[in-house]
Amino acid sequence: MTYVILGSGGHTAEMGRLTQALLQQEDATKAASYQPIRFILASSDSTSEQHLRQLLPKQATKAEFIQVPRSRSVGQSWLSSIFTTLWALLWSCYLVWRDRPQLVLCNGPGTCVPFCYAAFLWRCMGRLPSKSRIVFVESFCRVESLSLSGRLLLPLADLFVVHWPSLATRYSHKSNLRYFGRIL
Amino acid sequence: MDLKTVYVTVGTTKFDALVAAITSEPALKALKTRQCQKLIIQHGNSLPLTEDAVQLIRDSLGLEIEQYKFRPNREDIRDADLIIGHAGAGTCMDILNNNKHGLIVINDQLMDNHQWELARQLASENYLYYSKVADLDENLATLDFNALKPYETQPENLKKFVAAVNELMS
Repeated sequence: MTYVILGSGGHTAEMGRLTQALLQQEDATKAASYQPIRFILASSDSTSEQHLRQLLPKQATKAEFIQVPRSRSVGQSWLSSIFTTLWALLWSCYLVWRDRPQLVLCNGPGTCVPFCYAAFLWRCMGRLPSKSRIVFVESFCRVESLSLSGRLLLPLADLFVVHWPSLATRYSHKSNLRYFGRIL
Repeated sequence: MDLKTVYVTVGTTKFDALVAAITSEPALKALKTRQCQKLIIQHGNSLPLTEDAVQLIRDSLGLEIEQYKFRPNREDIRDADLIIGHAGAGTCMDILNNNKHGLIVINDQLMDNHQWELARQLASENYLYYSKVADLDENLATLDFNALKPYETQPENLKKFVAAVNELMS
């Protein structure tokens, strides 16, 4: 199973294209290995599901959408963010424990942070297979510096993709960080 | 090249200076010189023009102005000959993905805004232009939008990404 963590707006469109690329690759066996797919979206996000259903190839009609609480809404105070973040982390831990995804794929929205930590934690504890992986694609708009999500996840992502050469140069000492040129 | 329909969008931000600059006399005259007939302004949380001002511009310059706060803007983007916007990633991507001429206006009020990075990078690769608020009217008069490059996706790079994930999972 693959967990794809969605954000909103531009993040969703980008994630749709990456998921599509994995599912529509020439090698059908490899493409099938990413199925089934579960999309995780913030409970406040009402447009992503519809948007993605239009983008997805026929093979992924069985894709499921799961709504989770947001760890932090834009403009929320820091004190209440602590509680909502803990709540989101508990949810993430539960879902990842229940579904045991092989791959957690995400691209930058705050929602993905607790999921990646949960996946990392459960892998260390043996609940997830040792070959399960976390792939983080940095937001397209980060050209010279990493996002907060990126900084939090750089230490534990198995593959960390950036879109621009200046970031690739700046973090060239990180073996998990890769730059493939413009992929979107 | 004619800029018949120009779409100005501030997204969800408040950017009064952009709305004021684009509706200033020199900017409107520059647009008019480029055959602009209609200016659509999505002003979000910024102050719109008064009805009187809209009427005055219509009468004196023959320029139609339509303003709204928010609405789904796919058609506005599709119909525009030029998109003028703030440096939001969404606006930049709308310009690139729809192969539109684009001019990003930098909000000097928001210091340390990482979104500049994207606009600057895309401008350095000739996909769009960017401008300070103060230079907007001059840029509207002089920029050569035909010199911009169309944005093409690069499927071979996406294949490299897929190959890397495949390898990671095997």
